[in-house]
Amino acid sequence: MTGKVGVVGIGHAKFGKRNDATIRELAFEAVKPALEDAKITTSEIDASVVGVAADVWAAQGSPGALIHDYVGMGNKPTFRVEAACATGSAGIRAAWSLIKAGLAEVVLVVGAETMTWVGTPVATEWMARAGDTRWEYPFGITFPGFYALMATRHMHEFGTTHMQMSMVSVKSHKYGAMNPYAHLQKEVSLEEAMKSVPICPPLNLYDCCLISDGAAAAILASEERAKKITDTPVWMTGLGAGSDTMMISERPSLVGLTAAQKAAEQAYKMAGVTPNDIKVACTHDCFSIAEIMSYEDLGFCKKGEGGKFIEEGQSYIGGKVPVNVDGGLKSKGHPLGATGVSMTVEITKQLRGEAGKRQVPNAEIGLTHNVGETGQYCMVHIYQR
Amino acid sequence: MSWLPETEFVSTFVEAVKQGKLMGTKCSKCGERYLPPRQHCKCGSQEIEWYEAPTKGQIAAHTIVALPPDSMAKYAPYIVAVGELEDGSRILAQITGVTPATLKVGLPVQVAPHQISQDRIVYKFKPL
Repeated sequence: MTGKVGVVGIGHAKFGKRNDATIRELAFEAVKPALEDAKITTSEIDASVVGVAADVWAAQGSPGALIHDYVGMGNKPTFRVEAACATGSAGIRAAWSLIKAGLAEVVLVVGAETMTWVGTPVATEWMARAGDTRWEYPFGITFPGFYALMATRHMHEFGTTHMQMSMVSVKSHKYGAMNPYAHLQKEVSLEEAMKSVPICPPLNLYDCCLISDGAAAAILASEERAKKITDTPVWMTGLGAGSDTMMISERPSLVGLTAAQKAAEQAYKMAGVTPNDIKVACTHDCFSIAEIMSYEDLGFCKKGEGGKFIEEGQSYIGGKVPVNVDGGLKSKGHPLGATGVSMTVEITKQLRGEAGKRQVPNAEIGLTHNVGETGQYCMVHIYQR
Repeated sequence: MSWLPETEFVSTFVEAVKQGKLMGTKCSKCGERYLPPRQHCKCGSQEIEWYEAPTKGQIAAHTIVALPPDSMAKYAPYIVAVGELEDGSRILAQITGVTPATLKVGLPVQVAPHQISQDRIVYKFKPL
């Protein structure tokens, strides 16, 4: 297929501790509004890609097949993708590829995860096993722990402070409080954020994203079909992806994610834009330090200046690049498989001018940055009106 | 080394750790060195040989695990660090014999055997 691929429909389930639904109902809750948004039915969709990061959390083997069937996709082609916390963006990338390859014209992407039912110690355990199980997991390292290692190194090399990290959390909560789909819709003060319970010092509770249940859906279409479906398509103009060593100790640098730098470089080149052109971004703030490193890895500021970037308010609406004005993983929540799709939903809303109180003025070009693990996966996507 | 069933290769490494030695592998074809060791080189070669890595180095990054994974609950809090050894290679391990006040990037350390639990015989860092 020659031509562009566009987002023509978006839907979002309420993120949170959802005792009222399992993964199939959550997926439906995201797909229904996406179909309504595009004003189409499943009969006009050629295939689906389902993103669920972990069977163990879904309490279901092959959760993709379950979701595809439950949302009414019948006998159409489907497969499930997994790229840890970047699973949702892997789904978007796969859908884009199916359309560009000519295998489908309209593709439904659903990302979903149910995580809260196991409790924090077990969730921490399952997540830790995504680290190298032979050489790193046995030492008792956790995902907050991996990012805390990067935080201490970032502090050592650049003088980044914990107060700057807490400022990321304050921003996330400010915007999350305005997002009806967010898990924690409440503002926090800098003092509360700084003095919270230690998780893996220097990271405390407010430096860590939430463990959430949720789902998000996006419908992607070829240029020809997109123009027939909607007057307001949002085009995917740049895609980039990178990866890194399984062991964090094998990396020469701990102050950034090489996968993100590589992914960003490819996406900017493909879209023919520079970091200065990005008007709004959703970046992977699984931990406060991760958002600070994302500013740098994406070129919003120089390496080492991410702490200053938040301190100056440059990632707020009105700043240089508003980042995570949907509340981010910190306040909106982080149901692994849903996150990348949720980022696509938010950027689409922003580019259509439908973000309400959180609307970024003149949002013409948006970016999503979705990281799996500690950068073993990273996908960066650029969207334009 | 881990909770997974061990291979002969890993057993060789663990036996050396018990003696206070840290064994890496070197590719005979491209010369790449790996610590922790690998049985196969990333260049595609299977021709690897053991070498003895330095056990002295310094802390490159650190954290205190206050909220542990379920399986480590009874040991928390504990400190995990990435150490950079004298030859520039880096490994991740726990560190004992330090306090939050003495823990810092650049702290000189020595690698030593460490039995965390019955199924986890690993190495750790201790201050030099």
